[in-house]
Amino acid sequence: MRVVIAEDLALLRDGLERLLRDNGFDVVAAVGDGETLVAEVLERRPDIAVVDIRLPPGFRDEGLRAALRAREQVPGTAILIVSQYVEHEYAAELLADRSGGVGYLLKDRIMHVGEFVDAVRRVAEGGTALDPEVVAQLFARRREDAPLERLTPREREVLGLMAEGRSNAGIADALVLTVGAVEKHVQSILGKLDLAQSPTDHRRVLAVLAYLQG
Amino acid sequence: MPAPGVSARRLMYLVAGLPLGIAWFSLLVTLWSLTAGFVVTPFVIALFYANGAVTFGIAHVESALVRGLLGVDAGPPRWPARRQGWVGALLGPLMVEGFWRMQAYAWLRALLGYALGVLTLTLIASGLGLVAAPAYAGAVPGGLEFGVYTAHDFVEALPAVPVGCLVLAVTVLLAEPMTRPFSHMSTRLLADPRGDRPAEAAAGAREPFAAHRGRGLAWHAFASAMLVVVLMLVWALAGGGYVWPVWVALPLGAALAIHWWVRLMADRPELWRDRGLTRGLAIHGGVTVIVCLYLIGIWGAAGAGSFWPAWAILGLAIPVALHAGAVALGSADNRRLSERIDVLETTRAGAVDAEDERLRTIERDLHDGAQARLVALGMSLGMAEQKLAEAEPDAAQELLAEARAGAQEALRELRDLARGIHPPVLTDRGLEAAVRSLADLSPLRVSVSADVGGERPPAAIESAMYFVAAEALANAAKHAHAEHVDVRLRRDGTRLRLDVIDDGVGGADPAGGGLSGLLRRVQALDGELRVTSPRGGPTIVHAELPCG
Repeated sequence: MRVVIAEDLALLRDGLERLLRDNGFDVVAAVGDGETLVAEVLERRPDIAVVDIRLPPGFRDEGLRAALRAREQVPGTAILIVSQYVEHEYAAELLADRSGGVGYLLKDRIMHVGEFVDAVRRVAEGGTALDPEVVAQLFARRREDAPLERLTPREREVLGLMAEGRSNAGIADALVLTVGAVEKHVQSILGKLDLAQSPTDHRRVLAVLAYLQG
Repeated sequence: MPAPGVSARRLMYLVAGLPLGIAWFSLLVTLWSLTAGFVVTPFVIALFYANGAVTFGIAHVESALVRGLLGVDAGPPRWPARRQGWVGALLGPLMVEGFWRMQAYAWLRALLGYALGVLTLTLIASGLGLVAAPAYAGAVPGGLEFGVYTAHDFVEALPAVPVGCLVLAVTVLLAEPMTRPFSHMSTRLLADPRGDRPAEAAAGAREPFAAHRGRGLAWHAFASAMLVVVLMLVWALAGGGYVWPVWVALPLGAALAIHWWVRLMADRPELWRDRGLTRGLAIHGGVTVIVCLYLIGIWGAAGAGSFWPAWAILGLAIPVALHAGAVALGSADNRRLSERIDVLETTRAGAVDAEDERLRTIERDLHDGAQARLVALGMSLGMAEQKLAEAEPDAAQELLAEARAGAQEALRELRDLARGIHPPVLTDRGLEAAVRSLADLSPLRVSVSADVGGERPPAAIESAMYFVAAEALANAAKHAHAEHVDVRLRRDGTRLRLDVIDDGVGGADPAGGGLSGLLRRVQALDGELRVTSPRGGPTIVHAELPCG
């Protein structure tokens, strides 16, 4: 799996590169700013770009913009944004074009190497990985929502994990349930929220997020 | 009993009914008689328009009085849209609904208003006369007669005082019921007949006349002109001869000129402000000039002769001169104050910007420094965990050592950042100790001479001074290639002075990054910051701040 990394702090760039290499990824380029990221994506056609949202020269959301620009030119490139803070508005922008895998994670998640590597792989394969913080922000936004109130606490947990982009198997792992039990919860949630069954996990995530963003 | 101001204004409204009643009555009777007389001639159309304009003018004055004195906001009277077609064009204002309402109010004021004005003035005058009776009773030959009783001197007239008070009290109490018909009728008759009062009407309630801006003057001019035209017609039809309408035209012209001048001063304040005048003085002066011209006009119309207006002009000029003198004395103070306000506004905005910039810098430092170190530390630990699970203890040990070094770095950066935000030694030990500690931490040779004995300066002053010293020392180390720096800190009376002198290459830009932020901070505290840095050195940073 071919990866391009964009991160301006050398310390973290090197750390990420080593971590991904160790876990069997082929890091084809590691760059420090948005312009170079676009150029490298065009030239090397990676499966996924792992991008720090805050890059020079403005140190605001240059990373996100550059990644979206790169994907416009090379459709289907998966994007995983990492950041020291999360803002659900950015997640919405990221999800808006719906052409390939997206992820948006706090840099804290990198410490859980196994989960982080899973997330990179999932996004590269066209899936979704949203930070639990982003999902929590979305839940907080819809606190007064009646249909959400009708979910049982367990169902809300499952919905949160669905929104993060996990598969049924992933959810079963996280909650220590059987896959069958998770499937039953998912059916019940989709029914209560009036969401259609989706053929793929990714589409399911999009539907759930669209619902949560109202 | 209502507030004294309220009653006083009501009484003013009532008393105003006396002259206004006469004025409105004569205007309306004249206009309608002329209309009746000319009804079969084309002139009647001009009279219709004159009637409309005069009625509108009356409504304007009345609505301003009602709002200002009775506190009833009837909304500005508006000239309603003209009816279409030839009938509308001929009959003009008479055909529109608002006209008859305004006309009704004018008649109400002319008849009832006049009567109540006479009553009010009589009550006030007799009340005041009774209260003051003891003062002049002795001077009246044969004594003051009060019906059955005659007072010949001060003591005998004393009983009149309470009676006078009673009369005045009754007058005040009557003010409300006597003005009630006017406040009631004004909302029905003077208000805009279309009922949709624009927002400016509400603003007008706070600032009288504001709602009428601009249009009132046009109507005033129109009404005056129409009246003069009608009178000239009458004069011409009556066979010419002595031009008597001039006696109407002169006061109308003077009133219009005063209206125009007051309006102009209100609309274009730069006309008087730029000349260092006040609005009051500008209006006072202008109105005086107009009144003088008016008197001269009367003198001319009366056939010239000896120039009697000279005395009146002299009498009017003296108050203007006194007024101008008072304004001139006050404006020096004002100028000083406004300059001070300019300085404060600029420095306050600068201080807010500088503070904002500082917070952004701190956020950047945290983001790129300690936060990034902690992420890297977490990564190393995570990978070490993986290595242990894969039974590669050597690789794991290496990663753990990296992690510990990272933790130490993160701590150091946090400490530096905290010192950059506010050094603990400054709070605990004061400016002198904090500056010495800065000198110790500097990679350069720094000699400090400090004498800030006595009471500690305010915290904001100490902190600003500390950061000037810190920035100057940092610049000396980073840019000036200096070897030795001399820091002198002393207190001269109420000023705290700092000089940082290095032996570097000079050429520092005083507007550059850190120093310009500090300059704004120092200025906001009414201090000074000067940087002299010729090429080749030395660089001298001099700061002064008020203390105590």
